[in-house]
Amino acid sequence: MKTMFARLRSFWRGMRSPDQEWAEMSEEMRFHVEMEAERLQRERGLDAAEARRQATVAFGGEEKYKEAGREARGMAWLGGLRLDLKLGGRMLVKYPGLTIIGGLAIGFAICVGAVVFQMVMMFVSPTLPMPEGDRIVHLRNQDVEANDPMPGSLYDFGVWRESMRSVTDFGAWQDVTPNLIAHDGESRPVQAAAITASGFGIASTPPTLGRPLVQADEAAGAPPVVVLGHGLWQARFAGDPAIVGQTVQLEGVYATVIGVMPDGYAFPVAHEAWLPLRPSVLDDTPGGGPPVTIFGRLAPGASLEDAQAELTTLGERVALELPETHEHLQPEVMPYAHMFAMGLDGEALTVFALVQVFALMLLVLVCSNVALLLFARAATRESEIIVRSALGASRRRIVVQLLAEALVLGAVAAALGLLAAHTVLRQWAVPFLEANIGSIPFWFDLSLSPATVLYACALTALGAVIAGVLPGLKVTRGLGSRLREGTAGGGGLRFGGIWTAVIVAQVAVTVAFPAVALVVSKELNRVRSYDLGFAAEQYLAVNLQMEASPGAGVDSVTMAAHRARFGTVVETLRQRVASEPGVVGVTFIDMLPLTNYADYRIALDDSASVAAPPAPATASEGLPPLRRTTVARIDPSYFDVLETPILAGRGFGTADLAPGAQVAIVDESFVDEVLQGRNPIGRNVRIGAGGIAPDGPGAGSLPWHEIVGVVNDLGMTGAAEVGRSAGLYLPAAAGSGFQPHMVIHTQGDPVALVPRLRAVAATVDPTLRLTELRRVDQVTNDFLWVLGMWFRATLVMTSVALLLSLAGIYAVLSFTVARRTREIGVRVALGANRSRVLTGIFRRPLMQVGAGIMVGFLIVTAGTGFLSGHVPDQPITWGGLSAGQAALLVGYAAFMLGVCLLACVVPTRRALRVEPMVAMRVE
Amino acid sequence: MTDSAALLPGTLDLLILKAVSLGKLHGYGVLLRIEQISGGALQIQQGALYPALYRLEHQGLIESEWGVSENNRRAKFYRLTAAGRTGLKEEVASWNRLADAIALALRTTPQEI
Repeated sequence: MKTMFARLRSFWRGMRSPDQEWAEMSEEMRFHVEMEAERLQRERGLDAAEARRQATVAFGGEEKYKEAGREARGMAWLGGLRLDLKLGGRMLVKYPGLTIIGGLAIGFAICVGAVVFQMVMMFVSPTLPMPEGDRIVHLRNQDVEANDPMPGSLYDFGVWRESMRSVTDFGAWQDVTPNLIAHDGESRPVQAAAITASGFGIASTPPTLGRPLVQADEAAGAPPVVVLGHGLWQARFAGDPAIVGQTVQLEGVYATVIGVMPDGYAFPVAHEAWLPLRPSVLDDTPGGGPPVTIFGRLAPGASLEDAQAELTTLGERVALELPETHEHLQPEVMPYAHMFAMGLDGEALTVFALVQVFALMLLVLVCSNVALLLFARAATRESEIIVRSALGASRRRIVVQLLAEALVLGAVAAALGLLAAHTVLRQWAVPFLEANIGSIPFWFDLSLSPATVLYACALTALGAVIAGVLPGLKVTRGLGSRLREGTAGGGGLRFGGIWTAVIVAQVAVTVAFPAVALVVSKELNRVRSYDLGFAAEQYLAVNLQMEASPGAGVDSVTMAAHRARFGTVVETLRQRVASEPGVVGVTFIDMLPLTNYADYRIALDDSASVAAPPAPATASEGLPPLRRTTVARIDPSYFDVLETPILAGRGFGTADLAPGAQVAIVDESFVDEVLQGRNPIGRNVRIGAGGIAPDGPGAGSLPWHEIVGVVNDLGMTGAAEVGRSAGLYLPAAAGSGFQPHMVIHTQGDPVALVPRLRAVAATVDPTLRLTELRRVDQVTNDFLWVLGMWFRATLVMTSVALLLSLAGIYAVLSFTVARRTREIGVRVALGANRSRVLTGIFRRPLMQVGAGIMVGFLIVTAGTGFLSGHVPDQPITWGGLSAGQAALLVGYAAFMLGVCLLACVVPTRRALRVEPMVAMRVE
Repeated sequence: MTDSAALLPGTLDLLILKAVSLGKLHGYGVLLRIEQISGGALQIQQGALYPALYRLEHQGLIESEWGVSENNRRAKFYRLTAAGRTGLKEEVASWNRLADAIALALRTTPQEI
């Protein structure tokens, strides 16, 4: 033990400052020589110079002994590693091609790994960037019967707050999105939280201006107040420093601004304004009241387990007292930030693990390739390695050198990869998350975390081991025997079956990826060039909603009253907007064209006395008639405003809104797919609803709708849908009949109308909420964005795979040719036909590339067959590869082959140009 | 030269340990002490002393510290550690066994076989 300690100390001393160690050794040895010289002077009477000379000779080579001394201390490898790293750096410069290709490839793999890790960690173990953020907890009920989390109720909130000892500072909040009307008169919904004052206590962030909410604000009769977020204050009030004390209109209420929170404050999730949570007494019934999210802070000394134990006991008690509402409820407590962590259940973890494994496999694949390149380079340095080994370098020593080279390359790649990861997270992750989960919780930190950087370092080390040690081991195997054989010019290193497999796999991937890219780009183009059947770019769409829509459980009378009021408001708005300058027409529809309409099963009244003319040939001849359709509810003016012609029959009129007037208009696809070209006018159709099949039992309660007209296809299928579809329109009153999107036909740019529209809406009814304002032709933009990102990702993957396989083929070939230089020289000297020599060289890479292309095609064909055969509703079709596109793929394969041959040309020319005599002497 | 003997491999460490066991010494002192206690009969390549010293230090058998020499110069002094004392005892015993065995072998005459 003591010896061990001494060793460590001695080692540490050398490690700490090798230079100082060296200097101390020099000093000690110089002292020795001087003492000896003095003795020689004293005892033998020599003069100073001669004594010194003799003493130096007697001592021997000082440098040699110092080196030996350092080795004795176990420090030798350190100096060696330093040298290796330096050499590795030089190799980077000496082989720029390898550096660029290998560095880019490893960098790409590390980038993917880091981004995936960061995102996964963000979901799996998020941390709250708040003082003692890990002690803030979220409490909720779990419905064990439905296996679903239940929204918290104010009753539970009250019970928990009164009874629990292990959790303090209880609070609750509720999402609200009231319209905020600022001084400019514009009315816009804001993401606000109705929250207990304790929320501000838990976050303990002082406001920039004024004060946060306090308990007194929660009292039933307290004056209405609001706290603004920094962003909202800047955007809507131009950062007015005198905002505190002013009154703003929130929905129908005038509230006083009491404070402004600093930039970045978004507790509880991603909120920009805060109102006091004022529960009415009625809401306090068990299981009733508005849904709230409940939070608290662990009491000092209490752990999460303590809190869970206490809560479980409490839950059991409540379940006994109130079996009606709480029998199936189990309360649970969790770290606050885990609220949105996609449940740490087995399924989600499996998905995350799979994603991680995929990223890891990518790295392994990429690094195996780089290993191939490094191996080829090491093989060309075989003689150097053999000489080193003959001079006494151990096998380990040589492998370590190759590892050091890979490490240097990996370090450069890691820096590159982390930089790219940083950019990717900034540029794409935010919009990606926003597209998927809405506004991003404030604790989602998208800058690279230290853990991610550490993980990337581990990835780099792993990559370096793969890319450095594997070729090192292979190149040093049987060095002794090769030393003897080396001069004979035969045997030596060979590329084994594994490398062949790697190259074949690579080429297969480069063939398969473009097929994916092709499908995606086809989809992109299809969506982009979707013909809506009307001049969509002249129309503005806006989603209309009204606050205070009565929740479930409200009696039908209240519901009807609300609807009627909404209908009146919408009608007023229509008249006001229509009278605005530049507005050509205003109409309403429940779903915008190209969005995902609900699909309904239908039944046709085939007994209708409509003479069935022979069906003209249609695209879907031979297929059974479709028995489902998408349904849209429209204002009767819809087709007029869209300026689209009625192809047959008539359009809707106001009279069609009358109860009992059950009419419908269908589009051309409906005629083709459902009726197979027969005349639709006068036919009756029944639409499944409320779980009743239109042709099943109870269908008699469903009304028959008479088809009165036919129109063009007007985007009744979602952008992502392909395949057969049909569309049907029902007339209804906007607001009272359906949640409307207002569609406004304008002269000039439709978006220019937006500010005016907001102002008009605010005067009509402040509770009217306007969202999703955009041009009708831009409805699919989000979808296009995701598709475009997928397209770019595929392109990058393809280029990396392509680059790597080309480099691999090039490396293997130049290696093979270099090995056979002498053979080629001899054959050429003996008058061998050049083309035969060439065939001999090309045969192997050609077979490899050929096999790769075959496998790639098999994958594409299998994928196509599988997806088109088994998943008919798959949004992205694979079955749609036309003959032209197949030809494109074949052309691409030919191109691949050509590029591979090109990679063969350089080394081959080098070999053929070799003079026979030179070739003979080459070894 | 006839009265001096070259060192057997592996014996330098033993001699250094012995020399140092007699008192704290700097490197040159170790050389002088070995010459002194061996009656000047053993020849040591002077520089070779140092790698051996470092090795022994690395093994924890001796320890070093900087001090001032008899002529007031900075020098590094070596001292035996507890582990070194044990090690020396074992080495000496083992050397004696070897020397006895070899002496016994060399004394053998044809009559004794």
